[in-house]
Amino acid sequence: MKNKYLFGGLIIVIFLGFMAYLFTQSNIKYESDFAKVMKEQKVVKATGSWVKDKSYVMDIQNRVFSFYMEDADGHQMKVVYNGSMPNNFASAQSIVVTGEYKDGCFQATNILTKCPSKYEGQNVQAVKTSNL
Amino acid sequence: MIGSIILTLALASSIIAMVMYYLGYRGYNNALNIGRLAYHVMAMLVFLAAALLEYLLITHQYSYRYVFEYSSNELKSGILMASFWGGQEGSFMLWLFLTSIVGLILQNYASKRGDLEPRVMSVFTLATSFILLMVSPMFKNPFVYLWAEPIFIGIKSINPNLVHLPFVQNFLFADASSNQQFVKMSTGLVSALTANGISVGQFVINGRGLNPQLTNFWMQIHPPILFSGFSMSTVPFCFAVAAMMKNDYKDWVKQSFPWLLAAAGILGLGIMLGGYWAYEMLGWGGYWAWDPVENSSLIPWLVAVAGIHTLLVQKKSQAKGDGIGKFAKTNLILMSMMYVLVIYSTFLTRSGVLGDASVHSFVNPGTIVYLFLMIFVGTFLLVGLGTLAYRWRYLTLHTKTDEGLLSRELSLFTASIVLCASATIILVGTSAPIFGHSVNAKFYNSMHIPIAIIIFFLNGLSLLLKWKDTKSHDLLKKSLPSIAASIVLTILIILFGGISDILVMLLVFSVTFSLIVNLEIAIKIIRGNKKMLGAYVAHIGIAIFLLGVIGSSIYGREKELDLVKGQPQEVFGYKLMFTGYEPIDNNSKYAFNIKCVKGDNAFTVSPIMYIADFNNSLMREPAIYSMATKDLYFSPLGYDDGSQTEGGGPAVSLSVGNTTNFGGAKITYQKFIPPDVNTMMGGGNFQLGAQLVVDKDGKTYNVQALMKKNGRQIEFVPVELKDANLRIQLQKMDPNTQKAEIVFSKINDDNTATAKPKEVLTIQASTKPFVNLVWTGVLIMVFGFFISVSRRLKESLS
Repeated sequence: MKNKYLFGGLIIVIFLGFMAYLFTQSNIKYESDFAKVMKEQKVVKATGSWVKDKSYVMDIQNRVFSFYMEDADGHQMKVVYNGSMPNNFASAQSIVVTGEYKDGCFQATNILTKCPSKYEGQNVQAVKTSNL
Repeated sequence: MIGSIILTLALASSIIAMVMYYLGYRGYNNALNIGRLAYHVMAMLVFLAAALLEYLLITHQYSYRYVFEYSSNELKSGILMASFWGGQEGSFMLWLFLTSIVGLILQNYASKRGDLEPRVMSVFTLATSFILLMVSPMFKNPFVYLWAEPIFIGIKSINPNLVHLPFVQNFLFADASSNQQFVKMSTGLVSALTANGISVGQFVINGRGLNPQLTNFWMQIHPPILFSGFSMSTVPFCFAVAAMMKNDYKDWVKQSFPWLLAAAGILGLGIMLGGYWAYEMLGWGGYWAWDPVENSSLIPWLVAVAGIHTLLVQKKSQAKGDGIGKFAKTNLILMSMMYVLVIYSTFLTRSGVLGDASVHSFVNPGTIVYLFLMIFVGTFLLVGLGTLAYRWRYLTLHTKTDEGLLSRELSLFTASIVLCASATIILVGTSAPIFGHSVNAKFYNSMHIPIAIIIFFLNGLSLLLKWKDTKSHDLLKKSLPSIAASIVLTILIILFGGISDILVMLLVFSVTFSLIVNLEIAIKIIRGNKKMLGAYVAHIGIAIFLLGVIGSSIYGREKELDLVKGQPQEVFGYKLMFTGYEPIDNNSKYAFNIKCVKGDNAFTVSPIMYIADFNNSLMREPAIYSMATKDLYFSPLGYDDGSQTEGGGPAVSLSVGNTTNFGGAKITYQKFIPPDVNTMMGGGNFQLGAQLVVDKDGKTYNVQALMKKNGRQIEFVPVELKDANLRIQLQKMDPNTQKAEIVFSKINDDNTATAKPKEVLTIQASTKPFVNLVWTGVLIMVFGFFISVSRRLKESLS
C-alpha cells in the first residue's frame, strides 16, 4: 500500500516539478502587442503582419533579411532575420517571428508564415470586384 | 445529396443501436437483436458512404466540394484513391469507416463471451454516433456541393469552351495583384448553368489537387494505419465502462487484453510510419520534431503501453486469487484515458487551436466544430471517469494494495507511472499554445532522457524480480551476470562512441541492461512456447529503437554548405560536388545532383526542389544515402543561379516617397515613370521605371532607373554615377503598386568584377548514425505486440 503511493507519488512530484521548472525556463509566449515586445525585451513569438509599404532588404551575400512588421494596433517594428526570405513570405496572411527586441530592432531566429491553406477563402477580399 | 442521406440514416441506425443495446443490457432481451441489426445496418451504410466518396473521387465529380478541393485529374490512381483522406471531412470518414469495421469484429467477439455484447456495444455505438454526427450535414460533411457556399475557382479548372458564354461573364473576377482570373461559383451561377443545359460537372473540369507534400507513397498507408490504431483504441474504453456497468472486474481484463495490445501495436506502427515519412520525404531533417500532430498520437500510445503493464499485474493477481486484482482503478483510468486522449488529439489537430504552432497546415473549421469536438472529448471523459467515480468505493474496498518493495508488481506500477509522466509532459507541451505559450524541442528532449533511463532500468529490473516478493540476495545473484554484461557493453559503447555526457552514459547502460535481460529470457524460452515471447520481443525492439535514437540524434553531425557548381567540398570525409540540375517527373520537379566520393566509393545523390503549382511554394525533398551503420542525409535549402548577385549589393524594395541609404548616399524614390499605356497594351516597345534623387557629399543627382521592353526582351538599364561611386539598377517594378526593387552597388567594388555568375546549391548535410535501428526497432516491437495478441486472444476465451 505504502510503497505504491510512495513510488508513484515521488515520481509524479519529481517529474511534474521538473516539468514546471523547465516550462518556465523554455516556454515562449505569443505576443501580438508590439509595444510590449519592444518594452519587455525578452524572447517571444511576435505575431503580426508584414508592412508591405515599407522597404525591405534581402542581403543575399550576408543572408540577412530585414523588413517591417506591424500588429493589429498599428505598432510597427523592424525585424532582422539571419537567413533567407521564406518562400511563401509574400503571400503570407500573418507572420510569427521568434526572437527578441534588441538594439532597436527585433532579432528573429525563426519566421513562420501563416498562409491561407485554402486560398479561396481568404482571397475573397483580395479579389477586386473589377468585372472583366 | 445521396451521400448525406446515407450518412444521416447511418447516424439514425447508430443511435437506434445504442438505445437498443442499452435496453438489452437493462434486461430487455428482444432489444438485443434489434441493436445488433441496427449496428449492422449502420456499418453497411457507412461502407456505402465511403464507397460513394471513393467513387466520386475516382470519377472526378468536381461538383462535390471535397472532390474539387482535394483531388485533380493529374493525380495517379493510387494517390487519387488516397485523396479520400486528404482533407478533414475525408479523414473523419476514414476514421468512421475503420471504426465501423472494428465494431463488426468487436460485436462478433463480444457475442461469444457471455453477456458482454450489450454493454460493450452500447458504449461503442456512442462513439460511432459521435463520429457520424461529425460527418453529418451539420458539421464536416464530405458530400457538400461545390456551390453550397460561394467559392472562387481559378480559371484553370473551368472548361475553356464554356467560359466565354455571355452569362458566365457576370461571375468572372480578376485579382489585380496576382493577375489571376476566378469564377465565383454560387447558386446564381449554378441556376444560370442549369438554365442553359450545362451541368456543374461539365463546367468545372479539374480540381485543385492534393498538397504536394501528400502526393507520395506514404500517404497511401500511413493515415489508414494510424486511424486503425485510433479506431481500435475505442475498444479498451468500451470494455472498461462495460466492466463498471456490471461492477464485475474479473473478465474484462483478459477480454480487453488482446484489443489493447493490438491497438497499441497498430498505433505504434502508424506513428513510426509517420516518422519515417517525415524523415524520407518532408525534409524536416529527422523523424521526430515534437510537432503537435506527432505528439498527439504519441500521448495515447504511451498511456496504452502503461496500461498494458498494469493490466498484466491485475491479471496475474486475479489468477493468484486476489479478488478483482491489483491496480483495478489505475487500469480503468488508463483504459478510459487512452480513448479520451485520442479524441483530444483530434480536437487539438482539427479544431484550429494550434494554428500558429504547427508546420502541418490547419484549416480553422469554425467555432461550431470547435465546440462539437469539446463536447465529444467532454462526453467521453465524463462517461469514463463518471462511472469510475460511481464505482470508486466498491473498487477501493475490494482491491488489495500491498506490494513488496522488491516485487514485480511495484516496479511495473512505477514504470507505468513514469510512462504516464511522459504522456503528461507531452500533453502539457502540446496543449500550451491554447494558453498562448509554446515550448521548444529542448523542453521535451531534456525531460525524456531521465524518463528513458528510469523506464529501461525498470524494464530490466522488473523481469529479474519475482511476482509478490523477492529476497534481496536472490535478486543480487540473479542480476549480477546481466549487470556485469551490460556494464561491459556500455563501456565499449562509451569508448567506441566517444560519449562524455553522464546522462547519456546512464541511458546507454539502462538500455543495454534491458536488452540483455530480455535477450536472456527470450533465448531461454525460444525452444519452449513461442507464444510467450511477445513481451520480450517487444522490449528488445524498443531497446534497439532507443539505441538508434541515441546514435542518430546525439551523435549525428550536420553542416550547412554552399556548393558552387564544379567545385568539390569536403564534409564528414566525403568530397561533395554539385554537378548541375535536371528536370524529372515530366519537368515538374528538379533533381540537384551531388557527386559524393570517399576513397573508392563514389555515388550521386539528388535532393529535389520544385515550385508547386498547388500553393506556389518551393517544395524540397531530401536525398538519403543509406549505409549499414549510418545514413547520409542531404536537405536542399536553396539554389542560386548566380544571375541575381551580379550587382553585388542588396536589393532594396522602395515605394514612391521612400528613402534609403547606401554607401553614404541618400537615395529617394521621387516618382514613378509610367509606361505609355497605349503602346504597352498594343504589345509594342515601352519603358517604365523610377525617378530617383541621389544626395551624396552635398551633390544632388537626378537618376532614372528604367526597365525597357524591346520586342520580347526585357532589359533593366544600369546607371553609373562615377562621382558618387554608385551603380543603380532596377531589378523589379510593379506598375500597379509602383513598388520598385533596386540594386545598389559601388562601382569600384571588387564584387562587380566577378565575370561569370556562380551557380550555388545550398544544402544541409548531416549524418544519421544507426538510424536504421530506429525503424527496425519499432518493427520488432510491433511484431512482439502481435505475438502477445495471439497469446492473449486464446486466453480471453478461457
